[in-house]
Amino acid sequence: MPLANTPTSVPVLVDAEKCIADKGCTVCVDVCPLDVLRISEDTGKAYMKYDECWYCMPCEADCPTNAVTVTIPYLLR
Amino acid sequence: MMFEPVGDDEVELLIERLADGDPEVRRVALIELANTAQPEAVAPIAKAVEDPDAGVRLQAAISLGEFDGFEAAEALGIALVDADARVAQAASDSIAELKAPEAAAALLPLVEHVSGFVRASALRGLKALRHPEALAIGVKAMKDPEPGVRAQAVGVVGYLKAEESLPALIAACRDADAEVRRTAAGALAFSKSPHAADALIGVLADEGWAVRECAAETLGKSRFDQARGPLAGLLDDDVWQVRVKAIRSLGQLKAKEAVDRIAQSLHHEVSNLRKEAAAALGEIADPAALPHLEALVNDPDPDVRKNVRWALSRIGAATG
Repeated sequence: MPLANTPTSVPVLVDAEKCIADKGCTVCVDVCPLDVLRISEDTGKAYMKYDECWYCMPCEADCPTNAVTVTIPYLLR
Repeated sequence: MMFEPVGDDEVELLIERLADGDPEVRRVALIELANTAQPEAVAPIAKAVEDPDAGVRLQAAISLGEFDGFEAAEALGIALVDADARVAQAASDSIAELKAPEAAAALLPLVEHVSGFVRASALRGLKALRHPEALAIGVKAMKDPEPGVRAQAVGVVGYLKAEESLPALIAACRDADAEVRRTAAGALAFSKSPHAADALIGVLADEGWAVRECAAETLGKSRFDQARGPLAGLLDDDVWQVRVKAIRSLGQLKAKEAVDRIAQSLHHEVSNLRKEAAAALGEIADPAALPHLEALVNDPDPDVRKNVRWALSRIGAATG
């Protein structure tokens, strides 16, 4: 059986340069209705911990620094 | 998001962080202060609209939208003239959320500001506050040189639903700017006066299709029976969106004489128009529509089929 060692991409991408979670911001984590976003203990930045998404967009819309991008699958657009 | 009760020391702590050297820390503190919803948070947030960092000022303008009253409105007035356009726009949006009558005192002086954006934003905020002077201010601003300000002024006046504003609103139906005319046509919806009806009937010949659309809709909503003839004249308008509203209004007015002409739209390629025509024929419930509707029971659009069947059952019940 082949190992699933290919890196996969998740729909919610956070630009670490712009993210200010290390300054105490938790807006995206708070607004996510599925509670799948977390603040990384290593980098202090937000990231998608669980690959599950409704594409509802508040994380992208409410991010104070526009660091969050949600990639909506082609078939949902 | 904070649902648990907030302690005073927590607000104190957040206010202290507003003096931090790092603008991003100040920004996060503003977000959290707004979430506390504590009245003592307003003053420190209000001060932040003069922060040297544009991101902090932007957050202050957004956070003030969570509060109400004179102090918040006054600070938003400062943010409205911010050099950064995003800050000014956020302030304008927050001003539109104000509901407390005390906020009006901070907005009234801005109605005379040199910047049209500021004047329009002040009027946008005054709209929901129902200040006793709002009618006079609105009517005056309806003569503003900038169309954006005039459109907001029409909104202020229309919101008051005062019969004495009719002449001004009717005059605005002939404004040079289409958006002002459209807003004025919509604002006339409160009035049952035949003067409003005459003005709206005049607007049905407007060169802007969105203006005609709005007038056609308003005439039906207000149940102006005298509009039946003029509305039927719109059934061959070039723009189908206008025809949709004319047909809906003719249905609301139970315009039996227009049945055959409405039925012509049952074969239009736009299914929204077919759907509306079927619904209006059901409203009117005149048996003359039966052959037209029966031809459409197998329309490819399910919404059209649904309305056709509903209309057929209404006519069946009426003749039953």
